[in-house]
Amino acid sequence: MAVDKRAARLGALALVAVILVGAIGARLWFLQTVQSTAIQEQVNNGSIRTQLLVPERGRIFDSQGRTLASNRRVLTITVDRAVIRRLSNRTILFTRLSGIVKVPVQTMEARWKDGQYSQFLPLPIAEDVSEDTVLQIESRSEDFPGVRGEEDWARVYPYAPLASHVIGYMGLILKSQEAEFKAAGYLSNETVGQFGVEKSMEAYLHGTMGKVVYQVDSANRVVREISRVDPVPGKDIKLTIDLKVQQYAERVLETELRARRQTDDPTLMAKNPKLKDGTYKFVEPETWFYDKDGTEYLPFPAPAGSVVMENQDTGQIVAMASYPTFDNRWFTVGLNKSKFQQLFPVPDKNDPNRADKSILVNRAIQGQYNLGSTFKPFVAYSAIQSGLIDPEATFQDNGSFVLAIDKDKCNQGVRCEYFNALASGTGRPAVYGPLKLQDALAVSSDAYFYRIGELTYLKEHDLLGNELRNFGFGSKSGIDLPFEFSGRIPSAELKQQLITAKVLGKGESPNYLEGDNVQLAIGQGLLAASPLQLANAYATLANGGFLNRPHLIKAIYQGGVPDGYPGYGDFSEGKATVLQSFDAPETVKQIDMPGTTSLPILAGLERVITGPGVYFPDSFYHTTTGQQLFHDYPNDTLPLAGKTGTAQGSQSKPWNDSSVFAGFSVATDQPDTKVVVVAYLEKSGYGAQAAAPVVKCMFEALGGKVTMADVNIADPLDQTSIYAAPSNVLPADPANTGCLINPYATIRD
Amino acid sequence: MAFSVLNRRPDSGLGNVRSSPGAPSRNIDWILMLTHATLVVIGCFTVYSASRTKGVNGPYGYFFVTRQVVFIIVAAVAMMIVMAVDYGWLRERVRFLYALTIASLILVFLIARANNGAVLSFNIGPINLQPAEFGKVTVLVALAAFLSEDGSDNVNYERFVGALWLGGIPTVLIILQPDLGSSSVYVALMMGLLLVAGAKAKYIAMITLLALSTVGAALLSGLVKSYQTVRITAWLNPNSKDPKLQTYIFQGRNALRATAIGGLTGAGWLQGKITNTKGDIPVQWADFPFSAIGEQFGLIGCAVLIGLFGIALFRIWRIAHLSRDLLGTYICAGVFTMTLWQMFQNIAMTLGLTPITGLPLPFISYGGSGTLTYFLMFGLVQSVHMRRMR
Repeated sequence: MAVDKRAARLGALALVAVILVGAIGARLWFLQTVQSTAIQEQVNNGSIRTQLLVPERGRIFDSQGRTLASNRRVLTITVDRAVIRRLSNRTILFTRLSGIVKVPVQTMEARWKDGQYSQFLPLPIAEDVSEDTVLQIESRSEDFPGVRGEEDWARVYPYAPLASHVIGYMGLILKSQEAEFKAAGYLSNETVGQFGVEKSMEAYLHGTMGKVVYQVDSANRVVREISRVDPVPGKDIKLTIDLKVQQYAERVLETELRARRQTDDPTLMAKNPKLKDGTYKFVEPETWFYDKDGTEYLPFPAPAGSVVMENQDTGQIVAMASYPTFDNRWFTVGLNKSKFQQLFPVPDKNDPNRADKSILVNRAIQGQYNLGSTFKPFVAYSAIQSGLIDPEATFQDNGSFVLAIDKDKCNQGVRCEYFNALASGTGRPAVYGPLKLQDALAVSSDAYFYRIGELTYLKEHDLLGNELRNFGFGSKSGIDLPFEFSGRIPSAELKQQLITAKVLGKGESPNYLEGDNVQLAIGQGLLAASPLQLANAYATLANGGFLNRPHLIKAIYQGGVPDGYPGYGDFSEGKATVLQSFDAPETVKQIDMPGTTSLPILAGLERVITGPGVYFPDSFYHTTTGQQLFHDYPNDTLPLAGKTGTAQGSQSKPWNDSSVFAGFSVATDQPDTKVVVVAYLEKSGYGAQAAAPVVKCMFEALGGKVTMADVNIADPLDQTSIYAAPSNVLPADPANTGCLINPYATIRD
Repeated sequence: MAFSVLNRRPDSGLGNVRSSPGAPSRNIDWILMLTHATLVVIGCFTVYSASRTKGVNGPYGYFFVTRQVVFIIVAAVAMMIVMAVDYGWLRERVRFLYALTIASLILVFLIARANNGAVLSFNIGPINLQPAEFGKVTVLVALAAFLSEDGSDNVNYERFVGALWLGGIPTVLIILQPDLGSSSVYVALMMGLLLVAGAKAKYIAMITLLALSTVGAALLSGLVKSYQTVRITAWLNPNSKDPKLQTYIFQGRNALRATAIGGLTGAGWLQGKITNTKGDIPVQWADFPFSAIGEQFGLIGCAVLIGLFGIALFRIWRIAHLSRDLLGTYICAGVFTMTLWQMFQNIAMTLGLTPITGLPLPFISYGGSGTLTYFLMFGLVQSVHMRRMR
């Protein structure tokens, strides 16, 4: 009985065996009879090799046809993945290859494991190898199974480091971008534009991949070509930048910043304010101090700055410089981490006195700045348009402005009295007497604008802010560059945001107060804008109220514009096909600008350049802020208007003053030079001391008084350098640098 | 005495008084032995055909088959020793062998942790020993001895729990190695033995549940390295473009294709388009030998191979009936279950029915530990047959 039971159980086991064997038997029969032919066909067609053909990336030209970015053919060594799937095979092959391609075995192994290289394509082992290396490998194919030389492209920047912030650079696809680029059909190991025009125009520049499908035999040799789709090269792009002007702007900017840092002339330095007891108000690093006549002076840190030149009518950007700058060729040579950190040091945020020297920031569009008095024309416009002031009526400037609020509040510590900037002679706030609007702009009276701040606030808290948005402040200009700063117009909402983000202290009121509006009226306080926004706003003022979208792209061409004169593309008739042109201005908004509003403002801005200032008291002459600097400027050839600005920095210390100047041509008969130039030099002194000379140089160059040097194709990148870009200053020739010298400019604002 | 099988003089006729019908040496199951030998020879040819053209540093040629022949010679000697010993003798020593197995599994596990990766074997010079393979034999004998101890024809609860511990400990250690494939063999062994020993259906169900939940927990807790889960994911998503899955999808798909294109009669010896060219099926000689047979010899070749396994299994099943005692029955039932499961899993994964595991096809796949293990197990079965009349 017991035995029978066991036999039954053994029978159950046998039944399981029969079922399992039956299952594989059935599957096997189906596979080897019914499906066999179909799979046989798949296998025959399956012995194919797909090779992707990388398109040539679109090139970038300047407005004169200079080749700013181009491509060079390079050879890459790749290995078929199937051959090296086993570790032992891989080690043998990598060891053999490493001597020839000069890449360590560990590096190859790391690439094998790295997920960024496609699993469907041969693994790239070494880029940019010589023709000889490829020949050497392919002639010994039995020793190097699956190893091939493939053609690829490398980016070159013939005029680097000029305009690097504008042109940008390329880099590997970041983790955060993977999904987006994968969807667009990119390979995971492709390099894509990561900054500047390279990034913003990626979709045009990239082109479309081609593909060849080969049938291969068992030894992976090509038997025949099954199909071929040629790659479509990327579109070529012409910028509005004129590299000659760009080079000059970069040189003027850097020359001026270096001069501000290195000067030993006390009139060009920052003064350490002395207290009544004879001690000094601020304490700063000793190395900054310079003793003379018992007063302490120190040079400005002048770490950074930017220059923007924009066409008033079209919004086209002729030059856009940002300092410190870099050579974008660094991103094509495969920097390692330590070299990258050496070239692009991270600013130490814990050191309050250290100026921001970050390099990979285009300050012209990413700078988040107070604008100081350069903001006043727009405040004036807002006040006139709202009917709050009569530009011809006079206002008595007593050197300060007292808010018309409850005096009790003043006693409780609310700031009620706002002062003019200090006059250089007396060390006390300047007093300008009775001022019309154009006088107030010419001498840059703060009191006049404090009053506008109060008037607009009392009418409607957000009135001034909303009017200023008409000029594009507080929103992105829409320029064809990535990472643009949208700017900040203060409001109750913004204050609340800043308090939440802990930018403002806890003690700050979350309400939008009158004091905030009064600060805004002179371009201080919570206002933030980029130099490009300022330039575009001045362009709107100068062209009669057309707020245009600034453009860096002049036109998009069919890919494959032929080479012309060395360093240039050939854009002559019939050689290049325009796909899309951006020459016509793209007006975002037209704002109301009657002559009754604009003429007094323009008159004031012209007097900034030419004078006269105002007499008060009696015959005491107050010069306009730009009059002394521009006294030798040929205003008859290229007449200008402009405005200085000094943006107070951290704790209002004198050496934290940033220098701003906006100037524009008012010559209606000279369309070629109808431009706005804005210069912003961080921590470099008064507007007339640093930024105004830069703008003056730019206009003298445009007007022909100063000659701009020709642009030459760059020397090869010095890879041993420890600097992101070599020094690029004006030649030490008085004829060139004369426009920068301003021994008289001691006027604040 | 034990080695008398080796020095026995040929029978000189019925009148030979020293000869007895019950002598172990006269009771070898020659049908099983012949099937076994045929499988081994087919294995050598398969390993040779699947490996000769591959390898980056020149083709492997005879490299793997030479080693396999050496393994077979060593394994055959070991098998003869096992056959010469009465399997009852093992009942007394099995505690020591079992302890040794557990110790070596723990050691491998610790080494693996220290190396932060999967280590399945000890490397001693040119030989590497996989405890999970040899463990199949010791755990088989230990379980069989334990279940047959009280001579009962039913498994009570205490004995069931004891068997669960005996088999469960090595299984969990192997899951942690991580080697899901080998651990599945242990689970199959436990289920087969308990079924034959008369465990209630609910006990069998409980083991199935436990095995599934252990595997599930091991996968979800991340204790098992990702490459194990990747194989399962790859099997479930044959069209995935995920690079991590590609290797396994590629391997499995090519093995399936190779088998399929063999058709009815196969491409012929060394004429396979996939098997006999470049390395389209990684480690085909160890993991996918069935696809090599399928491509070269077609449905007929495959049927012959499965038929040979069927004969071997039938002989083992028969010996389980003939055994003189419960221990012998259980040993045969265990060998039957493990052989059946490994054969099924290896062929089924080649045919895309189950996920890819590293389980070798007994006697056909290249590999020292696996070959030796199955020779030892078949030696035990022969030992049961040889002593059925004592």
